[in-house]
Amino acid sequence: MLRYIAKRLLILVPVVIAISIILFGIIKLMPGDPVRAMLPTTLRGEQYQAAYAVMSARLGMDKPVPVQYLRWMHNLVIKGDLGYSSANNRPVVDVIREPLVNTIRLNIFVNIFYLLIALPVGIKMATKRGSLFDSGWQVFSIATYSIPSFFLALSLIFIFGVIMGVLPLGGMPNTVLFSGFGLMFQWARYLTLPIITLTIIGLASAIRYVRNAMIDALSQDYIRTARSKGLSEKVVIYSHAFRNALIPVSTIIVWTLFSLLMGSTITESVFQYNGIGKLLLTAVNTRDTMLIVSMNMIFAVVNVSAMLIADVIYGLVDPRIKLK
Amino acid sequence: MKSFLSMFKRLFVREKAEINILEEEAIRTPGKTVMLALIRNKLAIIGAIMFVSVLLFSFIGSLLTPFWETYLEPTNADLRPARNFLSYPKSLADKEIKKIVSGVSFSVALTSDGNLTVWGSECNRTMRNVSEKIFDIPREVQNANIVDLEAGTRHIVCIDDRGNFYGWGYHSNDQTILPLELQLSGEKIVKLAAMAQWTAVLGTSGNLYIWGSTQAMDVLTVPEDAMGRIVDIAAGDNNMVLILDDRTIRVIGLVGTEFYQQVPAALTDGSTRVAEIAVTNRNVLARDESGKLYLWGSSENRLNVMPETLRSEKAVDIDAGYKNFVVADSDGDVFVWGANELAQLKVPKKLGNDIAKVYADYFQFYAVNSAGKIVGAWGNKGYLWGSDKYGRDLFTRIIHGGRISLTVGAVSVIIQIIIAILIGLPSGYFSGWVDHTLMRLADIVEAIPFLPIAVTLSYVLGYRLGQEAKMFLIMGIIGFLSWTGLARLIRAVILSEREKDFILAAKSLGIKQSGIMVRHLLPNVFNLVIVNVTLAYASSILLEAGLSFIGFGVQEPTPSWGNMLTGAQASFVIRYCWWQWIIPALFVVAAALSINMIGDALREAMDPKASER
Repeated sequence: MLRYIAKRLLILVPVVIAISIILFGIIKLMPGDPVRAMLPTTLRGEQYQAAYAVMSARLGMDKPVPVQYLRWMHNLVIKGDLGYSSANNRPVVDVIREPLVNTIRLNIFVNIFYLLIALPVGIKMATKRGSLFDSGWQVFSIATYSIPSFFLALSLIFIFGVIMGVLPLGGMPNTVLFSGFGLMFQWARYLTLPIITLTIIGLASAIRYVRNAMIDALSQDYIRTARSKGLSEKVVIYSHAFRNALIPVSTIIVWTLFSLLMGSTITESVFQYNGIGKLLLTAVNTRDTMLIVSMNMIFAVVNVSAMLIADVIYGLVDPRIKLK
Repeated sequence: MKSFLSMFKRLFVREKAEINILEEEAIRTPGKTVMLALIRNKLAIIGAIMFVSVLLFSFIGSLLTPFWETYLEPTNADLRPARNFLSYPKSLADKEIKKIVSGVSFSVALTSDGNLTVWGSECNRTMRNVSEKIFDIPREVQNANIVDLEAGTRHIVCIDDRGNFYGWGYHSNDQTILPLELQLSGEKIVKLAAMAQWTAVLGTSGNLYIWGSTQAMDVLTVPEDAMGRIVDIAAGDNNMVLILDDRTIRVIGLVGTEFYQQVPAALTDGSTRVAEIAVTNRNVLARDESGKLYLWGSSENRLNVMPETLRSEKAVDIDAGYKNFVVADSDGDVFVWGANELAQLKVPKKLGNDIAKVYADYFQFYAVNSAGKIVGAWGNKGYLWGSDKYGRDLFTRIIHGGRISLTVGAVSVIIQIIIAILIGLPSGYFSGWVDHTLMRLADIVEAIPFLPIAVTLSYVLGYRLGQEAKMFLIMGIIGFLSWTGLARLIRAVILSEREKDFILAAKSLGIKQSGIMVRHLLPNVFNLVIVNVTLAYASSILLEAGLSFIGFGVQEPTPSWGNMLTGAQASFVIRYCWWQWIIPALFVVAAALSINMIGDALREAMDPKASER
């Protein structure tokens, strides 16, 4: 097992390095000269030349590009320094913290809800294949698959925010005005619509995934054996089929855990929710190079680790998989 | 009896030979089987019909509807869906019309009994508590004997026979409320002028009062010699024309305009007596008492050039729309010139030649005969699906936006297929280090979630690109970021296919490796590609819509279903302009849904085992 993990890690290292090179390329391609941006605009002529040379030496911009890359990676990996956000005038780490917490807060509920719905519904769809229940959820799945997330978000805002006027159109709760239970109630008000939107979007694929996993499990020979032994359908489904269906489902649970850290750019910006996804849009709009690159790097690392862990877990729960 | 019947049947009715399922399979080609399965699938048929209609709507539609990408008409912004701007009520037929004025989406007629009739479409948003509806004529106006009225873009002002002023409609700058000083002085009002942001009135003392937001007019000083001598007024965007009691004119307002500078000398020195003036936003048409016309102002829309045929005629009535002049001559003929984007020049043929009066305001035109009956109306009928925040017709933009969205999606899918085949085929065939390298490439592309990296790339690569180039960039970005899934599927199929005997046979025949890959392996992934391409097309359309929605896709003014929705991020649009976001979004849904339905059906048809899943 350890060898397997080590091997997987070894494979992922070049992937991460390649991504970092691409992202470094993005920094280099960014419009605007970072050295010039750091200099006061009053400098003229030779004075400017001198100041430029000093500043570019301090930023390490006078070195060849590969050296700059190594320096950047050194800061990133060894010192854990994500860089400095030019638009916020603060270190990137500080800028990211609050939106990240907000995104996690939103996604926890989304993930709980969609697992709570997707698992039982997917199982029931598989056991009652072809029934009205099954085809109804199939239609739901294909329909939500075809609806752009922003349209779903806008429609919810229109129905609950504008027509009924019971929920806010978007934004964040006011932490100054409210505290304690009042604040919690406010959070509930502001989180409801984003949670509904993201849950519905997540459901479309999750339901199909659970259903297919369950159908696969139900078509195995051991199910026929279990049935022929005269076991009750409940036992067959939940302790024989479902446990085996959990093997592929474990992957989505791992993904779910990691996706806590991933903001949904569009939904968050429609709801004006101060999360990590909206932060990325803001960063691009304010041309905040280091923030953009750091966030992409974080997303990549999270994603790659999720891939690794999903693989490992899959290997752990399914002994049939030969760990080559 | 039964056997008799069957014998009878056998004798006379030629029966189709019955074949069992296995024989049937053997006779039908796989393509035929798939087609039959598709036709039997109701969802597939509905999806196909939906998709074809969306396709025809967008592509045939864009051939049929002319489209001017950079056209704007901010005056007509945010008008709700309606085609009744010109549909005057039948009840006007037995009344004598004294005057007709129009706003951007409505018209009001003053009849000889002193009453007002409003038709067209509401142009104001209606907020709770504050009534600013054009159609809510105030009670006191209904009771009064109205003698004159004017309409701004979205408000109406009028005066009654006792010189009282009334106003209603959009009142962001109090355009509809008489200033306090005038209310207190009790001065009677005799003339009116109304524009988008302001209202001007002429009191019995011959003094001019203007209120509202008049920033565009610069300084509004009435010349000394005109003080107290004004008898009539007319207003354009930046300037006003005053008629004095000796029937000469003065122009006030912005000094630098052609409107201000090119006033014919004959009209100011007293050599001719001006009977009537008509003012567009930048041009003036004046008629003297002999019926001679004077025209000056900006050359925009060739509005400063009078039609050849009109020069010799004697004009009896003139009026001005927002970008047009209209003249009725002594023979009862009607002449219109100026802009034509909203069918302003499409004068109905059967007007007759008894035209005594012509009324034009903004983009609506009415011709009235000597008996005071409307004989024809032309101009802007309204917008079938409303107008957007720049006053552009949503209907044509959705048609042409569909063409863009569907094309962008299709091209990015083609890019996806090409890359997926180029990567998946060798990866599956060669395995070893080739496979490893190519699959790590797929890992890299998959590592960063789509939207963050797409937004970043769109910005980094696109910030110096033109509009058109940016559209290609979007196709490229979607294509280059979404090929991985298909490539992995192709690789998996090739991995199992390459072990089969026919490949061994091909190899032993000495066929080149590239030949084996292209001629013998590639056809095997055809089914897979077809199904996945369909599903990928739907998701590409959704991705383009999402990217354009947040401003990183197709750029304005090129329309796409996604960027038409960008405005909906403002709560104003969600709240008041449902047509601006629901209609384009429904088209995205219709396109994606129909393609997904076809894709699902295709998958079931091509892989009957899958339908059991």
